Amino acid sequence: MSTITVEARLSSRTRARTRSAVRLRRYLSNAGTVVLSLTLVVWSLVPIYNMVLISLEPEGDVFTDHIWPRAPSVESFWGVLTQGHWYLEHFWRQFANSLFIGAMVTFFALLFGSLTSFAIGRMRIRHGWLVSNAALLTYVIPASFLAIPFYRIMQNYGLADNPWSVIAALVAFATPYAIFVFQEYGRSIPIEVDESARIDGASPPQIYLRIYLPLMAPALVAVGTYALLLAWNEYLYQFLLLSSKSSMTVPVALAQFLSSDQSPWNFMMATAIIYAAPPVAIYYAFRRRMTAGLTMGGVKG
Amino acid sequence: MARLTRRSVLRGSLALGATSLLPLPRIARAAATTATVWFAQGFVQDEDVALRKAVTDYEKASGNKIELSIIPFAPERQKIISAITSGVVPDVMDSNPNEILQIYAWQDRWVDVSDVVETQKAQFSDTALQSAQAYNSVTKKRGVYGVPLRAAVVPCHIWRPLVEKAGFKIEDIPKTWDAYFDFFKKVQDNLRKQGERKVYGLGFQVTANGVDPYNLFTAFLIAHGGQDVVTRDGKLHLDDPKVKQAAIKATAYLGGAYRDGYVPPSAINWNDADDNNAFHAKLMVMDVDGTLSTEVAVKEKHPEWYFKDMVTHGIGYPTDNAGKPVPSVVGVTQGLIPKGAKNVTVAKEFLKYFIQPKVVGEFVELGLGRWLPVMPSLAKSPFWQDPKDPHLRGYIQQGLLGPTVPDYYVFNLAMAEVRSQHVWSLAMIDVAKDGVKPEAAVEKAFKRIEEIFAKYKVA
Amino acid sequence: MTDSASVVDVGRPAVRRGTLSRSLRGGLKGGEYTWAVAFVVPYVAVFAAFVAYPVVYGLWMGSEASLYRELFADPIYQSTVVNTILYLALGVNVKMFLALLLSGFFMRPGWWMKALLLIFVLPWAVPQISTFISIHWMLNGEWGFLNNVLYALFHTEGPSWLNDRWTALGAVIVSHIWKWTPFWTLILLAGRMAIPVEIRDSARVDGATGVRGFVHITFPLLANLYLICTLLSTIFLLGDFNAVTFVSGGGPANSTHVLATLGIRDAFEIANPRLGVAAVMSALPMVIPLVIILMRKLRTAEVQL
Repeated sequence: MSTITVEARLSSRTRARTRSAVRLRRYLSNAGTVVLSLTLVVWSLVPIYNMVLISLEPEGDVFTDHIWPRAPSVESFWGVLTQGHWYLEHFWRQFANSLFIGAMVTFFALLFGSLTSFAIGRMRIRHGWLVSNAALLTYVIPASFLAIPFYRIMQNYGLADNPWSVIAALVAFATPYAIFVFQEYGRSIPIEVDESARIDGASPPQIYLRIYLPLMAPALVAVGTYALLLAWNEYLYQFLLLSSKSSMTVPVALAQFLSSDQSPWNFMMATAIIYAAPPVAIYYAFRRRMTAGLTMGGVKG
Repeated sequence: MARLTRRSVLRGSLALGATSLLPLPRIARAAATTATVWFAQGFVQDEDVALRKAVTDYEKASGNKIELSIIPFAPERQKIISAITSGVVPDVMDSNPNEILQIYAWQDRWVDVSDVVETQKAQFSDTALQSAQAYNSVTKKRGVYGVPLRAAVVPCHIWRPLVEKAGFKIEDIPKTWDAYFDFFKKVQDNLRKQGERKVYGLGFQVTANGVDPYNLFTAFLIAHGGQDVVTRDGKLHLDDPKVKQAAIKATAYLGGAYRDGYVPPSAINWNDADDNNAFHAKLMVMDVDGTLSTEVAVKEKHPEWYFKDMVTHGIGYPTDNAGKPVPSVVGVTQGLIPKGAKNVTVAKEFLKYFIQPKVVGEFVELGLGRWLPVMPSLAKSPFWQDPKDPHLRGYIQQGLLGPTVPDYYVFNLAMAEVRSQHVWSLAMIDVAKDGVKPEAAVEKAFKRIEEIFAKYKVA
Repeated sequence: MTDSASVVDVGRPAVRRGTLSRSLRGGLKGGEYTWAVAFVVPYVAVFAAFVAYPVVYGLWMGSEASLYRELFADPIYQSTVVNTILYLALGVNVKMFLALLLSGFFMRPGWWMKALLLIFVLPWAVPQISTFISIHWMLNGEWGFLNNVLYALFHTEGPSWLNDRWTALGAVIVSHIWKWTPFWTLILLAGRMAIPVEIRDSARVDGATGVRGFVHITFPLLANLYLICTLLSTIFLLGDFNAVTFVSGGGPANSTHVLATLGIRDAFEIANPRLGVAAVMSALPMVIPLVIILMRKLRTAEVQL
């Protein structure tokens, strides 16, 4: 009897110790989370804070000795929104161009990338590996050095000063990457899912639309944001291929501020901040897709 | 290649839903009287307005059409190089940077424009005419490939309030070279005594970035007697003891000023905008920088700065230590016509129109005087001689009426590569940062310069 | 049965004694084969029209031997190569490792996690010209934000960050990591999402949580994606000139150049585009093995579950 009591007392003590150990671990883990979160916030925001500081400087001075805005002026933001500065005369037109190009690049990169990866990875088309390997060749020479031949062929195709030339170039650069990520991501979706749909009589487009795409949602969001931001912030090709003020995009307009002498830096920073808003907003709108866990429906692996 | 192109055109249109191409006959007719012109964007809006006005006036006068592309200054370089390398070129472009005239003339990429320059030859300054020429390694002769449009020179810029805060007056500034710059060291010392920790006396661009350091060093080189480093015939004279002495003195002074703490320490890694940022924020008393853009940029928002506080020494530019005037290096922007241009006739017509004194004179004046004309007769205009303006008279005196020389790459394009490789900068930085002896730093620089010059043998 | 077996076939040119048409189609039946081809054609068209020619032209531009002699004679070439190797080694690996860890961190539930992720994504979303220039100004020794903060907090004068080769290079690497970690975190996060809930749940039931769960369950499943991302990131980084150009300018005294910026300088400042391409191509001996590994990785197909 005494042994049972001793055992019972021992086990209750160990249980209590385990409970407090678990609580301690949880406390530490929460504290750790808080510390890590704060670190991430500070780390991510410091250079952006500097940008905000500069955008609020009435003189656009970038060299000051204060760390809080001393005499903040929103003149620069107002100038962007009202196209009030000479460099920003066509800001909204250029913004619309950026939106158009961004949307088209995202759409086509996702479309071509997912179609190709579906055909190669799921339908297992013969010699499909040739296509994905050839796609790799796109990256052998960095894009900045391919700009000159690109400039030439766009002229040859009659696409000079046309947003489609930029769209084509950026889709050509973004799609191989999309293919790779989709292939890799798709590996964790069992082929049996496709198989059973086939047996049920679904045609390839139906499998693609009803099964493949929904399951790929997180990858689509990730790659889609990549393509969007690539097009959104890309500068060299947009600059080379688009010459007129009305076809230009905002990154090119931003580059104007790099004229080597005096520059109204507060306007440049305000422009950049305003320009960064749409992709962030779009990502925010799609974040649930990003975090949607995969449910396997009725298929057992 | 042809097979690929045809197929790709088909595929391209299928894949992308091709955009509409202009119907061909319309293009052919329009091409006869249309020319495309690329020009760098100005630093103030007025420059662009002035350019557009000149273009519109030409169109009205001639009936031809000009497709004008005003391209941001810094990136225009990439566009020009892409265009020339790929063979798809406009009809007229400005020389941005100026040395592309010489660089591509070497490769026989420009159309000869001596007929255009002839029309106003008597008007041009000697420096401008020299700058319009370049050596062509294919034809093995020099030719006139540029049409001088406007020019820039490198004055000294000073903040009067800082000088006065240190207890001096602008009039106290000495007139000879070394004493002139030593003055600002004294200004800094006095300001430091008053507790101004962050102000520096000399804004020397002791950096290996951008074009400012090259301009700075060349000014010092010439002031110390090294003007003949490259002579008109394109020959390099590094063995000339005068040149060597001058290079040593320049390196020693510029690097030494940094070592002694009179130049902001971050100057070692400035880019072309950083020195202007610092000057604008009144963190330096003076700097040596090209054109009047610092002043012109604030004219509208801070007239008191323009009219009172900022001082430009064009007049007042120091003489050499013996009291003789120092010639200033002038960079001349040229109009260029690339080979392969679709409409050379209209291009030449346009340039001939543009360089008429009253047209080009108006162009630089409407641009608020940031650029100088290249025709001495235009210097007498009321705009440039306005007694109420504190900067323009000095600027034009230094850059047009006083002694000037073209930049060295005009004589030998190898100097352009010396500039891009920042050879002089590295010498200055060796002394400034690592305490290398000026003689050794200059030896190293000279060796590199010889290697670069060896690549371009002028017949 | 044979049909489904052949559908599962990898596409490796198997030795198949069959009709020519069957070996061409890889076993896909008529209508399906047409679909598969139709799906692949758009990208192939884009590739043929817009990639084949520029890449071939680009390779041609860098193909002259004398270019490489001139390149190697450039006094800064050697230090540039060293910088490039450091930039790649540290930039890619630190960034990917952080992304791996953070992707696990961001799996936690809660609205504040989502808000944090949004803030975390900002560095990547804001145009890099502006952020890198902002960092350049921040690091100015006399008047930059960072030293102002140091002075306000600790009353010490911070160093001139961009005046020394190693701190400048460090700043460039850190800037790159700052900008790109969010992106790779998102990709790896998506990869983690792909791990079916059942596996995660059963792992937890079996007691494989925390570090053990990560090492034995999560990481093996992510390994392939991680490797592909690392390789791609290396290739991308080789051509990236923005961080160096805007943060350190290649300075001080040309000591923090990388091959990409050296190439840009040669192409656009010395006006010798072929020399510029040669600079980047001189890294091909490093790039080719990476590309080959990538190709191998993409060929092996397995359904892991």
